[in-house]
Amino acid sequence: MSLLEVEGLSAGYGPVQILRDIDLRVDEGEVVVVLGANGAGKTTTMRAVSGTIARRGTVRFDGQDISRSSPDGIVRLGIAQVPQGRGTFADLSVEDNLRIGAYTRRHDTDADIDRWYATFPRLAERRGQKAGSLSGGEQQMLAIARALMSRPRLLLCDEPSLGLAPLITKELFEIIERLNREEGLSVLLVEQNANLAVRVAHRVYLLETGSIVASGTAEEISADDGIRKAYLGF
Amino acid sequence: MDRFFQYLFDGLSVGAIYSLLALSIVVVFRGSGHLNFAQGEMAMFCAFVTWQLQDWGIPLWIATVLSMGFGFLMGAGSEYFLVRPVAKKSPYSVFVVTIALFLFLNSLASAIWGALPQEVMPSLFPDAPDDFLKLFGATWRYESIGVLVVALALMGLLFLLFSKTRFGLAMRGVASNPESSRLVGIRTSAILAASWGLAAALGALAGTLVAGRTGDVQPSLMFTFFVYAAAAATLGGLDSLVGAVISGLAIGVVENMAAGYAPGWIGQEMRLSVALLAIFVVLLSRPSGLFGSAKVERV
Repeated sequence: MSLLEVEGLSAGYGPVQILRDIDLRVDEGEVVVVLGANGAGKTTTMRAVSGTIARRGTVRFDGQDISRSSPDGIVRLGIAQVPQGRGTFADLSVEDNLRIGAYTRRHDTDADIDRWYATFPRLAERRGQKAGSLSGGEQQMLAIARALMSRPRLLLCDEPSLGLAPLITKELFEIIERLNREEGLSVLLVEQNANLAVRVAHRVYLLETGSIVASGTAEEISADDGIRKAYLGF
Repeated sequence: MDRFFQYLFDGLSVGAIYSLLALSIVVVFRGSGHLNFAQGEMAMFCAFVTWQLQDWGIPLWIATVLSMGFGFLMGAGSEYFLVRPVAKKSPYSVFVVTIALFLFLNSLASAIWGALPQEVMPSLFPDAPDDFLKLFGATWRYESIGVLVVALALMGLLFLLFSKTRFGLAMRGVASNPESSRLVGIRTSAILAASWGLAAALGALAGTLVAGRTGDVQPSLMFTFFVYAAAAATLGGLDSLVGAVISGLAIGVVENMAAGYAPGWIGQEMRLSVALLAIFVVLLSRPSGLFGSAKVERV
């Protein structure tokens, strides 16, 4: 049984349908990357899984049907989302951002905060600053740390590389890879930046105008000439 | 100097009530982005409720607390049943809904209680003519001291609630970023209703304090107080709790000083205009208020 199983998922905004009948799965301990261009439906996929928009189809998490669950119920089950554009609480301090990440839990918050300060030392240096004053890279780290504060089993990352310098993006993907390797955290990540993302992925899906058009292991995807030219650009 | 301290103290005492009601406005605005024009009328209605409860024989302090509880339910209920259904469709319609609520509460209070006789509302504090002490040559009425102390104490509690509790963190989170709040598992709809409730509960205390000061409860009880409070909230920056408190106190002091030192040409009638003129000048130079957060975000 997969950790996350999505079957026949459709979603959109009002009358506009974006996702058409997509299937995907994330196994326990896997990093799965969904690649797609602008407007392919990457963010919609994330929102449909986290329950922040109306959706049709089945979404099962750990065997449980969550396709009718509310966003807060889904967080409590163990899915945390880092939204596109990072979604930090700009007016709150760095530390309060972490604290609010643990909203669904009531215990050991301080210990977890220290733990993520150790992983992201720059956040520790800026703990009293308002999150809105951090650089883009720092905000992205904060958004990930905040999501991890809910102790998720599955982390959803929506285009973490957006607007970041290449070096920072690289550092970020290394951290995601390390969390996966050392903590066994499962990750579903959507990206345009295919090169880096494919390197951390176990499996890859290609999303085009709301449908999954190809999928395979990271090796298979990088070996496919057509896909490599279209998505990886070499 | 005697007069100075008198005006200062009177200004602070009445300003504390402006601050309380301004906090109501700010709590609602931060949470939902709406201005509740019925905030003053909710407070007036709750003052009637306090009066009714104590008239039934319930001790006044307990009646006040019960009235605040009633205010909480009224505020939360208004958000849930009246504001939310229309807010989804158009934010402008919320303006109309709160105006309608203003008129409705006003007529409802008139219909239920009509014109109560004057001097029926007891004060929470000793208010006999000789209940005062002399300090720095000024007359410090127990009543005014009590209002100031209770209002400041409640503001202190409110700040602790916002800065130290999980509920307060959630309220700040929803104010800062509603979308992300849902993603960390906050039930934003419950937080919104609760912040409207909290605001109306603060208003219930403000209304009861005002009624106790004047001795009267009537449907027009909070008209001027709401104008001052809205002005204080705006001056403070609309999203700043500290700003609302300081601006409320400052407006109270400025209007008392102006009316006191220039009785001839400002006097009792023009004091409101003086306060509003001062606010106009401040907002010209600082558009986001004295303490408002200018929205700057790095991306």
